[in-house]
Amino acid sequence: MSIFNIKNLQCIRRDNILFQGLNFDLEQGGLLQIDGVNGSGKSSLLQMCVGLIQASEGSINWNGVNIKESRYQFQSDMTYFGHSNGVKAELTARENMKVMHALSGDKSDIDYSSILKQIGLAGLEDVLLSRMSAGQKRRVGLSRIFMTQSKLWLLDEPFNALDKNGKKIIEQLIVKHCTAGGMVIFATHQTMEIDGYPLQHIHLGNET
Amino acid sequence: MNEYLNIFFVILRRDLTLAFRNKSEFINPLMFFVIIIILFPLAFGSDSALLKQLTSGIIWISALLATCLSLEAIFRSDFEDGSIEQLTLARYPLTLLVSAKVTAHWLTFGLPLIIVALLTGLVLSVPSQTMLALLITLLLGTPVLSLIGAITVALTIGLRGGMLLSLLILPLYMPVLIFSMLAVQNATVGQSIAAEIYFLSGILVLAITLAPITTAAALRIRLS
Repeated sequence: MSIFNIKNLQCIRRDNILFQGLNFDLEQGGLLQIDGVNGSGKSSLLQMCVGLIQASEGSINWNGVNIKESRYQFQSDMTYFGHSNGVKAELTARENMKVMHALSGDKSDIDYSSILKQIGLAGLEDVLLSRMSAGQKRRVGLSRIFMTQSKLWLLDEPFNALDKNGKKIIEQLIVKHCTAGGMVIFATHQTMEIDGYPLQHIHLGNET
Repeated sequence: MNEYLNIFFVILRRDLTLAFRNKSEFINPLMFFVIIIILFPLAFGSDSALLKQLTSGIIWISALLATCLSLEAIFRSDFEDGSIEQLTLARYPLTLLVSAKVTAHWLTFGLPLIIVALLTGLVLSVPSQTMLALLITLLLGTPVLSLIGAITVALTIGLRGGMLLSLLILPLYMPVLIFSMLAVQNATVGQSIAAEIYFLSGILVLAITLAPITTAAALRIRLS
């Protein structure tokens, strides 16, 4: 049974306390949305959850072990998709996907074309990302969650720059992943249309 | 083991592809290198005895300056487009991925620089035994420049400080310069250069072993 939980987490950025005393548990199939106004610490929370930023107080645990102590075990169970797409403009879609796939540690054969088709980029395998639009680049970046075997996904504003159709594809994938026992934590302002799948919420910032 | 080797080559290939698609990034430091060397004959006159004495030193110092310009390319674009986060959070040790990136930097900067240095050495008629010493010291020294440089870049990337980078890195390059120049001077007067070669090899081994670990740690600090 995989569990991701955080205990008494505190975040201080530039001498401001963004949040403190934050607790939550996420079990298999859990879907958690983080919302809050700009600057309330959504991205910081996600970056803490993946271990990019150290928490000033509190602990983050994966299967009962602090993620600091089992970094590579945690990182192989986890996929993070941040604010920036993490793809190279001078590489083609296929080359970018190859690198992402290799870094994820998954060794199965993957048909890159069929994934591109699923995310609405059919036939763009060999196009440089510098020739693509912002939304198309975002989609190539998001293709990593199609290629990973990891249980836990942490997505920071995944719907940014995506059109309605793109948003829907990602929503469906998230629900599918959770239904299969995966876990997803994501930050967004937008309303999720997930057909009644139970959604947990964390609200950061002032309650007003 | 195989798996780690595989990911090493994936990253190496990625960075080499990027370098070749973005030619100005790796050709400009080499041009800079050549231009600095050319300035010296213009200043001292191409026949002067003084210049003949100085040539290998000039080549080495130009190499250091050109390295300062080229180093940022190791991490700048990765930092801008968020790839560095993905490398940090990958399933593989960051130390390994960083080693691949530094290797790519040496292959696209250090290696061409050695070739260009040999050509300019020929043009400036450096005697052959001096040239051999120059070649050996550059072969042992340039990887050290890339490796130590990567640490400093990792610490300063995104701080808008090309100047800061040079200020931090040049003092760290002094040992390499000192031993290389000693070797070249000894070779010129026909003495053995074994001692200097041992020292340079030692520095290289130390850098290969420790620099990637330090670079990875520096990157994590920079990202947090």
